[in-house]
Amino acid sequence: MTQLPDKSRTADAALHSLPVEQADASSPVSRRQFLEAAGFSLSLAAVSGCGRAPVETALPFPVQPAGVIPGQLQYFASTCAGCPTACGLLVGTRDGRPLKMEGLPEHPLSQGGLCAVGQALPIGLYDSHRLTGPLSAGESAEWATVDQEIIQVLGQIKEQRQAVRLVTPTITSPTLQAHVDAFLAQFENAKHIVLDAVSSSAILDAHEQTHSARVLPHYQLDKAQVLVSFGADFLGTWISPVEFTAAWSSRREPTEEHPQMSYHVQVESRMSLTGTNADTRFTIAPREQHLVLSRLAHEVASLAGRPLAVSPPLGGSLPDTEIASMARRLWEARGESLVLCDAQDVATQIVVNNLNHLLGAYGETLDVNRPSQQRQGNDRDLKQLIEELGADQVGALLVADVDLLHELAAQPALADAVRRVPLTISFAQREDEFASLAKFVCPDHHLLESWSDAEPISGLVSLAQPTLRPLGKTRSVLESLAAWSGQPATTYEALQQHWQQAIHPRRQAAAPAEFVEFWERALHDGFIEVAAVATTGGEFAAGAMEPPAQHSPSDDFSLLLYSKASMPDSRHAHNPWLQELPDPVSKVTWGNYVCVSSADAEKHSLEDGDIVKVSAGDGGSEIELPVLVQVGQHPGVLAIALAYGCKGTDRFAKVGPQWLESRPTVLENELVGKNAAGFVEFRDGARQYNRSGVTLTKTGRQRELATTQKYNSLEVPANIAPRGGLRRDVVQHTTLAAFAQDAHAGAPEQHHDNKTQLWPEDHPKSGHAWGMVVDLNKCTGCSACVVACQSENNIPVVGYDEVRRQREMHWMRIDRYYTGEGDAMLVDHQPMMCQHCDNAPCETVCPVLATVHSSEGLNEQVYNRCVGTRYCANNCPYKVRRFNWFKYEHDDSLQNLVLNPEVTVRSRGVMEKCSLCVQRIEAGKVKARSHGQPVADGAIQTACQQSCPANAIVFGDMNDTESKVHAAQENPRSYHVLEELNVRPSVSYLRVVKNREEKDRKGEPHIG
Amino acid sequence: MQQRVITIALLIGLCFGLSLLASTMTNWRMPDNQQGYAPEQPIAYSHRLHAGELGIDCKFCHSAAELGRHAGIPSSDVCMKCHRYVTASYDVTQEKLRIADDEKKLLDEIEGKPEDQISAETMQALKDLQARADALKVPSSQLQKLYKFLALDEETMQPKEGATPQSIPWVRVHNLPDYACFNHQAHVAVGVTCQTCHGPVESMERVRQYATLSMGWCVNCHRDATRDGVNGHEVHAATDCTVCHH
Amino acid sequence: MATLRPTLITGGKVPADVTRDVCAPMERSPTALWWGAFLLASTALIVGVVAVTYQIAMGIGTWGLNRTVGWAFDITNFVFWVGIGHAGTLISAVLFLFRQKWRTSVNRSAEAMTLIAVVCAGLFPVIHMGRPWLAFWMAPYPNTRGSLWVNFKSPLLWDVFGISTYLLISAVFWYVGLLPDLATIRDRSKSPWRRRVAGILSLGWNGSARTWSRYETVYMLLAGLATPLVFSVHSIVSMDFATAVIPGWHTTIFPPYFVAGAIFSGLAMVLTLMIIGRKTMQLENYITVGHIESMCKLMLSMGCIVGLAYGTEFFIAAFSGNPYEQFVFLNRALGPFSWAYWTMVSCNVLVPQLLWFRFFRRNIAVVFVISIFVNIGMWFERFVIIVTSLHRDFLPSSWADYAPTSIEIATLAGSFGLFFTCFLLFCRFFPVIAMAEVKGVLEKPRRAPKQDSEQGDAA
Repeated sequence: MTQLPDKSRTADAALHSLPVEQADASSPVSRRQFLEAAGFSLSLAAVSGCGRAPVETALPFPVQPAGVIPGQLQYFASTCAGCPTACGLLVGTRDGRPLKMEGLPEHPLSQGGLCAVGQALPIGLYDSHRLTGPLSAGESAEWATVDQEIIQVLGQIKEQRQAVRLVTPTITSPTLQAHVDAFLAQFENAKHIVLDAVSSSAILDAHEQTHSARVLPHYQLDKAQVLVSFGADFLGTWISPVEFTAAWSSRREPTEEHPQMSYHVQVESRMSLTGTNADTRFTIAPREQHLVLSRLAHEVASLAGRPLAVSPPLGGSLPDTEIASMARRLWEARGESLVLCDAQDVATQIVVNNLNHLLGAYGETLDVNRPSQQRQGNDRDLKQLIEELGADQVGALLVADVDLLHELAAQPALADAVRRVPLTISFAQREDEFASLAKFVCPDHHLLESWSDAEPISGLVSLAQPTLRPLGKTRSVLESLAAWSGQPATTYEALQQHWQQAIHPRRQAAAPAEFVEFWERALHDGFIEVAAVATTGGEFAAGAMEPPAQHSPSDDFSLLLYSKASMPDSRHAHNPWLQELPDPVSKVTWGNYVCVSSADAEKHSLEDGDIVKVSAGDGGSEIELPVLVQVGQHPGVLAIALAYGCKGTDRFAKVGPQWLESRPTVLENELVGKNAAGFVEFRDGARQYNRSGVTLTKTGRQRELATTQKYNSLEVPANIAPRGGLRRDVVQHTTLAAFAQDAHAGAPEQHHDNKTQLWPEDHPKSGHAWGMVVDLNKCTGCSACVVACQSENNIPVVGYDEVRRQREMHWMRIDRYYTGEGDAMLVDHQPMMCQHCDNAPCETVCPVLATVHSSEGLNEQVYNRCVGTRYCANNCPYKVRRFNWFKYEHDDSLQNLVLNPEVTVRSRGVMEKCSLCVQRIEAGKVKARSHGQPVADGAIQTACQQSCPANAIVFGDMNDTESKVHAAQENPRSYHVLEELNVRPSVSYLRVVKNREEKDRKGEPHIG
Repeated sequence: MQQRVITIALLIGLCFGLSLLASTMTNWRMPDNQQGYAPEQPIAYSHRLHAGELGIDCKFCHSAAELGRHAGIPSSDVCMKCHRYVTASYDVTQEKLRIADDEKKLLDEIEGKPEDQISAETMQALKDLQARADALKVPSSQLQKLYKFLALDEETMQPKEGATPQSIPWVRVHNLPDYACFNHQAHVAVGVTCQTCHGPVESMERVRQYATLSMGWCVNCHRDATRDGVNGHEVHAATDCTVCHH
Repeated sequence: MATLRPTLITGGKVPADVTRDVCAPMERSPTALWWGAFLLASTALIVGVVAVTYQIAMGIGTWGLNRTVGWAFDITNFVFWVGIGHAGTLISAVLFLFRQKWRTSVNRSAEAMTLIAVVCAGLFPVIHMGRPWLAFWMAPYPNTRGSLWVNFKSPLLWDVFGISTYLLISAVFWYVGLLPDLATIRDRSKSPWRRRVAGILSLGWNGSARTWSRYETVYMLLAGLATPLVFSVHSIVSMDFATAVIPGWHTTIFPPYFVAGAIFSGLAMVLTLMIIGRKTMQLENYITVGHIESMCKLMLSMGCIVGLAYGTEFFIAAFSGNPYEQFVFLNRALGPFSWAYWTMVSCNVLVPQLLWFRFFRRNIAVVFVISIFVNIGMWFERFVIIVTSLHRDFLPSSWADYAPTSIEIATLAGSFGLFFTCFLLFCRFFPVIAMAEVKGVLEKPRRAPKQDSEQGDAA
């Protein structure tokens, strides 16, 4: 079942007469039956083990759906809708329950990767806070009546020629888009407004000017040898992170034969995930972007022999020499180089386009003929909408999949304006700020309950299929719109119809001519390639290159609004897994905070957890949040994450154990984090995520940040550092130059002898010897694996207080270390999980043999034998063992459906840790055995490995000399963490290679 | 004197305690040992009849045993494969066969004879047989339950209007704790017979737990299997903890 | 022999006095002082019981532990109490074998203290478990798991055997020592029920020559048996740490270091109790300044050994060239828990140096204060060893802080409550001084202690 899945042709089989059908979603009893139908009753986990076991009933299907094997995992190819990126998805369902989200290996964009958000979908599905039916004026109603009323009102609006406005985030689904257009076409004055929480409209506007086509180019990072990114966090949140991570990491694999890799420069104001992975990183003030880019363009242009008319002014915090060398490297690699920029300022983006044009990037490293459709946000339309609303010119306002009022918090008057609109309809799945004002709420399906399709890149269409019957009486947006425009249709019909009319004709030669086959192939593969829609793009026009505005230096801060990789937009605010996922850079969970540079922290004597008030100069919006001192952030810059402070997140107040000294995850009348969208302002036709003239004042109050890592450096505190022992080589580095000369460069010299053994070699691993290799040079720290592991292994959510007390339960953690200072700073991400040592210190000390070594080299933890002395955790050099300090709640019977029946739910007082997904190993072995074949290399994948967008994790049988893992361990970059302890781990790491010059800068004694 | 009294008192106490224990010792078993558990089922399905007398293979109904972790309790439509046609209880069916034989005999007698030569007795006998056959039409009470769960019309064997079929709430006999994972596929694949663990089910009217299902019972079987192999061929029955506990 | 040494028992006591004086506290109704102390102790005990109940109901999470610091107060208290338990056996067994007559006045209460301390200690390994109701899995017993035994490699298992053996032997030793005195109580007591109880407990002791000779032999044998335990138990306890890989724990010096420390703390506790006891129960003539002084000498020597051990640890760390080892010790002295480290050093090494001076050794008040200091210091020694080694080990990413919760503090208080409650009850219902033995070391040379005691009883 963990083999590259045999995708069944369609989910219909699984859908057919699942017990959930008899189980009315609202009644817990029938839901318990559903659980038992799955051959599993978790309520028993607690009771089992005392006296006569309680009577358990087993409910078989009345009529067995074809292809459903009790308790067996089935995979269905689908498309992720966690964000408009539309990555390929494999939905693992068991007994009709979607449980595990995995990447679709064949998918051209995501290439088998899946981000944390995608991984966290299931817990959002089994959420008792989702609306189970339509609301009319806040009261639950029937669809029939709701439809009737809406159609009637819409009729009046049509007669009175009032304006109809439909607001959605970027729609990548061609079918839905078609229906939206069809719906709006009925009205004279109707408009579809695309609101992206984090918009990229400036890029589109810039291309409208330079390429006379309002498109978002498709960036092809896998072709980029030299990559300069201005603020674009493309490995974290920018446009299509999973695709970009896969592409980027494909060029970060220097081998002995070909010691080459891409050169990546990051120029940014805050410490972004991408910045932490760059070869070279410079910090500038946000408003300097235009200036620096213009000067870079100027340099490149003169290298190209086509000097620009106006030469940009000098100054700025980036020295000429650096810009010059940057330009040189870009130019030398022209055709293979690329400049990215996240600026929401059209002028700046025009400079970027000119740069890329000069470098011959168009057609090579970025593609405007098959443009991306992952960001279509049009902020001009949005601005107009706000004005119309203010002037009461809108008759009907429909909002789908985005919380209008949350995102536009900067317009305080908006709420009243919305109240005055005659007809307001929300399609929200949960009651958000807009929905609470809307006349009607017509809740949409969860993605896993509904059919859909997507065209993220022009010419790549993919299908999303439902994997269980809707748990509530919800209805997809498409069906609602169809119903109101007079020709009701099910999404399935609508899809087929649209594909027959619009998609199938665009098929390529290889694709089946018969529609049914075409459809079924698309459904089986999850996607299909068709001809791109020709963009009406003209020749390149340099566009108006405005000289950058001069900024007078001021003491005020400039504020930068960003989105976290762990919480990209507010639609996921209700997802406990994402809320507790440590931010890849700051390692903080549960809420947002104000990132302050170390310099400013010193100046204003701020420490982590000090609550400060940040207010915009205009005396408008202000916010009170705790401080996080963020190294590597440009002085004078504050950064706050968006997508927090969402309505209804006070539901998490009681998450985690409640006891004498526990602190609530959410304080009285507060929410998880605060909404910073109030600082987003409209400037030159686009929503701006940075603004200057911001002031910061200390409140004197405190709120400790729930961070999973308290000490952030590889170097021990200098005042207690033993001689020569300042830095710990748990992460090893070298530079490309050094690596080219000696593939073993960067290895610390060995003082110890690992030949002598304390124990006799009495554990022969005759059969398999499972092992793992993590390539630290590819790993970006995106943390998708953390959630993948959580979902696979039933890891509980423990809440703010437990995390604060250093008791997070994640089996897979990603250690993040800062070394050095300033531009020379190195940031490392090191995935750390149980190392499955051959000489495991934990094994010898357990008095009851609850943790022992398997004949296949696994370090086994037996929960039901553990008495909880915690001796093993104390004696673990890697501190990867997690203890169940409390009985973490499993009371929500709906949420329990997310639990993986193959993994025991641990009770209070027992130790747990990474098992290398032993349940997958066992399943893989059984599968191979029943076919009478040996386990093939790659047939068994761990959860973390499967989902890794960077392909940084290799798992397999080390005894198999043909296996990938064996090869990876032979890699000269391979090393063991704490090798000197001679615990002989089964997990090894590949050394980091940075593509940067040899510089003996302060704070990196071990580089090279 | 004093201490002699004490000693005697102690001895008496000890004997008394032991005698008390002894009585319970006889039917004493470890906690959690469910051996012999044979709950009543919603439908009195007889394995003795189906697996024993009729000799239906276990995997005909428990087909999932070859395919996955759970042997699976067959869905009701599996029952209907036969019981769409076999609606009467076993002995009734036998009786029907007998009647059919007699009828055939009589018919053979009167075959070819002209109407008038057929004796009234014979005709009467035929009529009686018809009557007896008709009297037997009623389906077995147990099967009626099945049809009820499936919401079928007993006459037409078609689903009733607007009624949804319900699952049959079978009572699980073999209950492993949730921290122990037993995989049927793995065992069936190497040729372990169902009876090895489930006992002579084909002789059980109502299924009961045959083995203790204790960890020791599993582990010892694994050890033996690795040593002696399973019917002829070698196997490696692992005794690693995580084979069952994950 | 007694003539060569300064008198052990002052006030020219005759055996009858001994009996009277020692039995007095048992026979008169308890003083207000006793009631006050008892009230205090039992309140502390109740607080502890509540705390532990809450912790077992909720989970170990109610302690301040975390993923990095898995042990703190729990095991600190455990080691602390086991340590306390050492003085008793040392005084009664080892000193007995070395013919140290002065021990007679203190051995009884020291043994009682040992017993109670070990009970307190035994509590913690059980309640520190995540699932204490499964504590019996620590015992190797045949089972239906085919068959699943315990891990004989694990020092925790060695503890189980070590502690239980120690408890058993010292209980027997204490009880056997009590026999003659119980007989005395039996013969003196007026109330019938007390006579009966004492009678049963004294196993029909009849003071005949044979009884005495048997008694002497058994006592000698038990002393021989108990002596190695003094060294074995705490060596085993120390291996909980010594066998681990954690720098700061992984040390070969631990067994002797722990034993010395244990005796050190034990003596301190004996002193504390004795100084209170002799005052409150008017036993100044039996527990003389001489006794206190000789215990001080013993304590001083132990203190020096402990101090030496601290030094050795640092030297070895520096000498080993192992950066992890070096860091841990620098971190102890200068890191976040340096306050604990320096408390330990000053209490255990610096303060006891006063005892070099005869003046301080013979000044009850000073000795009392010093003994308190040593008790505190030795508790912190275990805290330092456990917490500072754990909280910053190999991977900097996993470094964590530790702060106790109210529950942990209450549990610590509770263990002291248990200790003093039991000890006060002991003072109330048992002879705190081994009358029979003391009579043996009275000033005037006698024919045989036996008759005296009988005369004494007759009187």
